[in-house]
Amino acid sequence: MCKRLHVGGPKRMWEPEAAAAPIAAALYITGRRGHSPGGMRKAYIREQQARGRKVVAVLPVHYPKEILTAAGVLSVELWGPPGPPRHASAGRLQTYVCAVGRNALGFLAGGHADLVDAVLFPHTCDTIQGLATLLPDLGGWSKPVLRFQHPKGDDRESARRFLRAELERFASEVGELAGAVTAEALSRAVALHAEIDRARAALLARRASLDLSDRALYALLRRGEFLWPEDHLAELRRAVARLAPAPVQRGLPLLVTGYVPEPMSLLDHLAEVGAFVAADDWAATGRRAPPRPDPLPADPFDALVEKGFAGAPCTTRGASRERRLAHLDALRERSGALGVLAHVPKFCEPELFDLPALRRHLGERGVPLLVLETELESELPAQARTRLEAFAEMVSARRARA
Amino acid sequence: MIARRIEYQAVRRAVGPLLVWLERQRSRGRVRRDAGPFGPPLESSRKLKELLSLHYLEGRYADGAVPVAWVTSGFPVEILRPLGFHAVYPENHAALCAARHALPALVEAAERQGYSQDLCSYARCDLGSVASGRTPVGRLPRPDLLCCSTNICQTVLYWYRALAERFRVPLVLVDTPFVYGEARPHDVAYVVEQLREAAAAAERVAGRRIEPEALSEATRLAREGTELWGACLAQNRAEPAPWTGFDQFAHMAPVVALRGTEECNGYYRMLLDELRDRVRQGVGGIREERVRLLWDNLPVWFELRHLATLLAERGFTFVCSTYANAWSEMGSVIDPADPWASAARAYQHVILNRDLGSKLALMKSLCRDYRVQGAVLHSDRSCKPYSIGQIDLRERLSRESGVRALILEADHGDPRAWSPEQADTRLRAFMEAFD
Ligand code: SF4
Ligand code: SF4
Repeated sequence: MCKRLHVGGPKRMWEPEAAAAPIAAALYITGRRGHSPGGMRKAYIREQQARGRKVVAVLPVHYPKEILTAAGVLSVELWGPPGPPRHASAGRLQTYVCAVGRNALGFLAGGHADLVDAVLFPHTCDTIQGLATLLPDLGGWSKPVLRFQHPKGDDRESARRFLRAELERFASEVGELAGAVTAEALSRAVALHAEIDRARAALLARRASLDLSDRALYALLRRGEFLWPEDHLAELRRAVARLAPAPVQRGLPLLVTGYVPEPMSLLDHLAEVGAFVAADDWAATGRRAPPRPDPLPADPFDALVEKGFAGAPCTTRGASRERRLAHLDALRERSGALGVLAHVPKFCEPELFDLPALRRHLGERGVPLLVLETELESELPAQARTRLEAFAEMVSARRARA
Repeated sequence: MIARRIEYQAVRRAVGPLLVWLERQRSRGRVRRDAGPFGPPLESSRKLKELLSLHYLEGRYADGAVPVAWVTSGFPVEILRPLGFHAVYPENHAALCAARHALPALVEAAERQGYSQDLCSYARCDLGSVASGRTPVGRLPRPDLLCCSTNICQTVLYWYRALAERFRVPLVLVDTPFVYGEARPHDVAYVVEQLREAAAAAERVAGRRIEPEALSEATRLAREGTELWGACLAQNRAEPAPWTGFDQFAHMAPVVALRGTEECNGYYRMLLDELRDRVRQGVGGIREERVRLLWDNLPVWFELRHLATLLAERGFTFVCSTYANAWSEMGSVIDPADPWASAARAYQHVILNRDLGSKLALMKSLCRDYRVQGAVLHSDRSCKPYSIGQIDLRERLSRESGVRALILEADHGDPRAWSPEQADTRLRAFMEAFD
C-alpha cells in the first residue's frame, strides 16, 4: 500500500502525515480529549469542509463508501444517534418504530445535520426505506438526497447485474453533487478501502492478541464512521502494529451478534464482568469488514460488486439463515468464544426474525446465549447490566467446570 | 401420488361442489338477521364464502397431488398458474384467522418459539400455525416452493426465510427496488430476470415447462381480474355507496388469493353486476349515508363488524381505502402480450413500494373521486411500511384535501395491541366533529 494515497481528484489531494495526522493522533485510542463524540465529529467535519470536501450524512448500514471517497466526499454515518431523540420531529414516526429510525428523523429534521451537504439513505430495511421518502417528500430535509438500493437475498447473477447498474447510477448521482467520479479516482478509493477492510478484519480476527480494551478498540473502529478514510487507515495501521504474536486478552471470550455497539458503555460493562468481544458480528463493525482479494479486480465496479457479496451474511441484506448460522459457528470456533450475546435493537425486524433460529441452533450445540434488546439508550439499563452479569457468571462457571 | 391426485380431483370436482350445494340447501330456510344500520346484505357474499371454502378445502388435499406454493400477496402469481400450482397465501390465511378470532392462540405459539411480539402479526400467525399445526381451515398443504416478493415489505423475506428453514424447500425471491416516481430501467431489468429465475424454479418443482400461451392467458386473467375488482370499487363513487369499505375488505380475498384464475373473474363479474344494480336502485351499503370516509392501511380484521356498526349507526361509511385499491392499481399495466416486463413494472409500482409523495397523491385523488369528507388512518403496529409517514400524511391530507383525518392506533391482527374503549372514544369524538 502506497503511503501517500491521493483520492478524490487533484483538487482534493491530501497528504496524511503532513496535514491531518495531528487530528488523527489526537483522536487515536483515547478518543475524546475533552470533546463530546458529537462535538468531536462536528469539529472534524468543519475541518474537512475547510479543505473543500463535501460531507454526506449516511444512514446505516451498507453503502459503497468508495464512490463517495473517490468524489472527495466525507461520509459521516448516523446510527441514531444514541440517547433521547434530539428533536420533537422524532414523533413523526410511531413509537413502534426502532430508535435508530426515530432518532435519525429527529436529528435530521431538527436541523442537527445542517452542516452536511446531503444525506444518503441505503435501503437497509422498511424503516430506513420509509425515512428515505418521508424526509424529502413530506418535509424535514431540503438538501440533496442520495439513495442506494442494494439487492436483497443471496448472491445471484441477476443481483450482481443489478448491483453493478446501481453502483454506476450512484456514482453519477454522487458526481452531480461533488464532481465527476473518474475511473482512476475510484480505483484508488477501492484500493484504499480494501486496505482499511483488511486492517479492520485483521484487528477483529486477532482480537485476543490486541492489548486494547473493547472500549478503545470500538472507539477506533467506529471513528471509521466519520473520519476521512486515510485518517482512519493511519489509526488502524498503528493498532495493527500492536497486534501481539500470541493472545494477550485473558477475559471471558464472547461472540457478539447484533446491530451496533450502542450504548458504548455496554463494552465497559462487559469488561466489568470479566468478558471481552472475542468475535464480532455487529452489522456496524464485524459485518462490514469483508475479506478482500489481493489483487483486486481491475475494474473498480467489478471490485465493488465482489465486495457487495463478500461480506459476512447480514440480516439487513436478507442473508440466508444457513449461511448466517454457519458464519457464526465459524466465528465462534475461530475465536474460542464460550457464549453468544445477541444484542439487538427493539423493533428491528431484520435482527429479531433470526433470533428463534439462533436460539435453536446454539441450544442444540450447548452454547449459552443471552439476548439483550436495547433502544439506543445513552447508558445500558440496570436490568440489562444485571442480566449481563448473570450471563458472564454462568459462562465462567461452565468454563471452570470444563 | 396417484391416489392423492384422485383424492384431490374428487374433492375439487365432486365433494367440494356437493358440500357447497348441501350448505346452500341448509341455508335456504335460514332467516336472515336484521341488517341493523346496514343496507341489505350483498347476495354475492354467499358465493364468496363458497369460493373461499372450496379453495381452502382443495388446499387440504393439494400436497402430493399438485405442486403447492406459498406466496406473498404481492408476488406475480401468474407465472405459477400455467404450471397448475395450488397457491396458498399465508397473509390471507392470517387475515382469516384474525377475523375468526383464532389469531391470538397462533401468535402465542410463535412467540413461544422466540418470535418477538414486535414482529408483524401476519408473520407470527403463520409461523405459529406452522409450529402448532393449528388452523381454523382444517389444514394448510405443505409447500413445495416458497415465493416471496419484497414489493410489500422486507419483512416477508425474513418470514419466508424462516419458512424455508422449516420446510426445507426452495425459496424464490423477487426483490423489487423501491420506486421513486417511476421504476428505472435497471430496476425493471432486475425484476424481469428474477421473474425468469422464479419461473425456472417453479418449472423444476412442477416438472414441466411454462407454455407461453398459457402464461399469456394467466396474465390476461390477472389483468381482467384486477380490472374487474377496480370496477367493483369504482361503484362506490355513486351516492349512496352500494357497499362499504368493510365489505370490500372481505370481498378482496379472490383478487389476492385467486388472481389469474377464471373463478376469481367469474366471481367479480357477478359482484359487479350486483353492485351496478344497487347503484341503479339507490341501495346503499349502509341505510343512511351521511359522511363518506377513506380508510388507510390494513383493516383491523378482528373488529370489522364492531367498527362498521359503530360508524354506520351514525351514518358514516368507508367508501374507499388505499388497501382495497392496491389490488386494482396494476390492471392497466399488466400486458398479456408482454407478460414478463409488464409484470415487472406492475408489481414494482404497488403502493407499498412507492414513495410517500405518490401515496399522498393517491389518497388525495381517492378523496376527490369518491367525494370523501373524512379519513381514518389506521396506524398499524404490525405493519411499519404501511404506517410510516401517516402522521404527516394525516396533516397534509387535512390541509390539502380539506378532509378531517384521524389516526387510529391498532394492529391488523393482534387484539393485544388494541384498546377498544380508547378506539371507540376516539372514533366517537371524530364523528362528533362532523355535526
Ligand atoms: S435498527 Fe433495524 S429496523 Fe431500525 S433502522 Fe436499523 S435495520 Fe432498520
Ligand atoms: S409487515 Fe405489513 S406488508 Fe409486510 S407482511 Fe406484515 S402486514 Fe403485510
